[in-house]
Amino acid sequence: MKSVLALFLKDVSSEMRTRYALNALVMFVVTSIAITLFAIAAETSSSLVLAGVLWILIFFSSMSGLSRTFVSEEERGTTLLLQLLAIPSVIFRGKLLFNILLMMFLNLITVLLYLLLVEDFIVKNFGIFSLTIFLGTLCLATSSTILAAIVAKANTKGTLYPVLSFPILLPLLVSVISLTKLAVEGAEWTKTIQDFQVLISYLAIALTASLLLFDFIWKE
Amino acid sequence: MTKKYLLGLVLTIIFIVSLSIPMVPFPQHWYEFPIIPGLEEKARNIFFHVPMAWVSVIAFITSLVYAIQFLRKKNSLDDIKSASAAEIGLVFCFLATVTGAIWAKFNWGMFWNWDPRQTSIFILLLIYGAYFALRSAIDIEEKRATLSAVYAIIAGLTVPFFIFVMPRITTGLHPGSGGDPNGNGPLFQSKGMASNMRVLFYLSSIGFCLLYFWMWNLRVRIQKIALTQEEKSFHE
Amino acid sequence: MYEFFSEHQLYIVLTIVLICWAGIFGYLVRLDKKIQEVEKSIH
Repeated sequence: MKSVLALFLKDVSSEMRTRYALNALVMFVVTSIAITLFAIAAETSSSLVLAGVLWILIFFSSMSGLSRTFVSEEERGTTLLLQLLAIPSVIFRGKLLFNILLMMFLNLITVLLYLLLVEDFIVKNFGIFSLTIFLGTLCLATSSTILAAIVAKANTKGTLYPVLSFPILLPLLVSVISLTKLAVEGAEWTKTIQDFQVLISYLAIALTASLLLFDFIWKE
Repeated sequence: MTKKYLLGLVLTIIFIVSLSIPMVPFPQHWYEFPIIPGLEEKARNIFFHVPMAWVSVIAFITSLVYAIQFLRKKNSLDDIKSASAAEIGLVFCFLATVTGAIWAKFNWGMFWNWDPRQTSIFILLLIYGAYFALRSAIDIEEKRATLSAVYAIIAGLTVPFFIFVMPRITTGLHPGSGGDPNGNGPLFQSKGMASNMRVLFYLSSIGFCLLYFWMWNLRVRIQKIALTQEEKSFHE
Repeated sequence: MYEFFSEHQLYIVLTIVLICWAGIFGYLVRLDKKIQEVEKSIH
């Protein structure tokens, strides 16, 4: 656990030194929200459509951000050093921790800006909404981290990542969007149980599969 | 050798039967099908459309099994088997999507309705597409084999979600799904399908499955020869 | 086109059958090309 934390801190400090991903990603979020605002300028759109748009923003910002963790190691040529120094599962957990933190921060900004700037987007049940964002981010970060490790080994890194991720993230996105719609409508908690069950089982499966399969990817 | 001729004979009989009977315009006697409300003569599509979807799922499962085999033993033959199964699965998946869309146009009025099963076949198509995009993006053979095997397994893990979760979230149009008032179970299990039709349906499914395994076998053997040839020229 | 097909439903079946076989045939043609390549490398 200590080495996981050490790897996590190494990633955080190297990120804080350059702020490459952070700055670029915050700008990405701001620009895409601005585009959304221009697009819906004077129209009154329903909250249900806007719930879908929110998840489009989150999906693409995570797609542009999450692959950084492994690609940067590959670009700087530090993969071999990490392979020598740490066992694969430690590396995976360290990277996962960093990705989760990054996504939490990014999605917090996205959601806050979205709630502030998009006036038609009114959430009636805030409890469901925040739990959805929290669990959705957790699932998104978990299943994207393993895919980022795969993509880092391929030739066309940028375009391949969303292509590979979309079919795998789709069950997650479907249930998350339907949950957000329920939150917007102000539904009762009892209605959301099924979707939350899907999210939690998805998280459990993604986590165990990633831990089992990461060895194979990392050794390549 | 006799095994192959036997396979050929079985396939011929199955295909002649399953091809000719649905095409007979006014069937009588034992091949007379009772009219299923809402489907009429279009019901004959079931002998072709449904096996396509089944085969694409079976191909995905074979691909998955050999992907796991590859990760366990690192034998390049398993990678060839896995990739070949995925390739043929892509063909059948595409055919299932297209034939389903045409049938949907005349039964439900639109080519694409985002019915749960349409959605899941679309996802399967996306998974196959992503799998080959990944394979073409990696040059080194062993690396490609390992990474694509891992991706196939991860993608395979999400498939149960689509099969069990999606139909419950949105109501469907296929017979036997949630939105169907008088359906309990898929069409071939319900009362709507006569016994002779059911026999024909199973025959056709078995025929297409056998055809798939034969095509797969051919593809694997060609790839195997190409591999040994490559190694030979490498040593020279 | 649409009216013809909805009146003569059997032709929908025909189209679907033809599409299925065309797809399988197309795949076999591709396979044939692969075999030719391998044959060339052998000789």
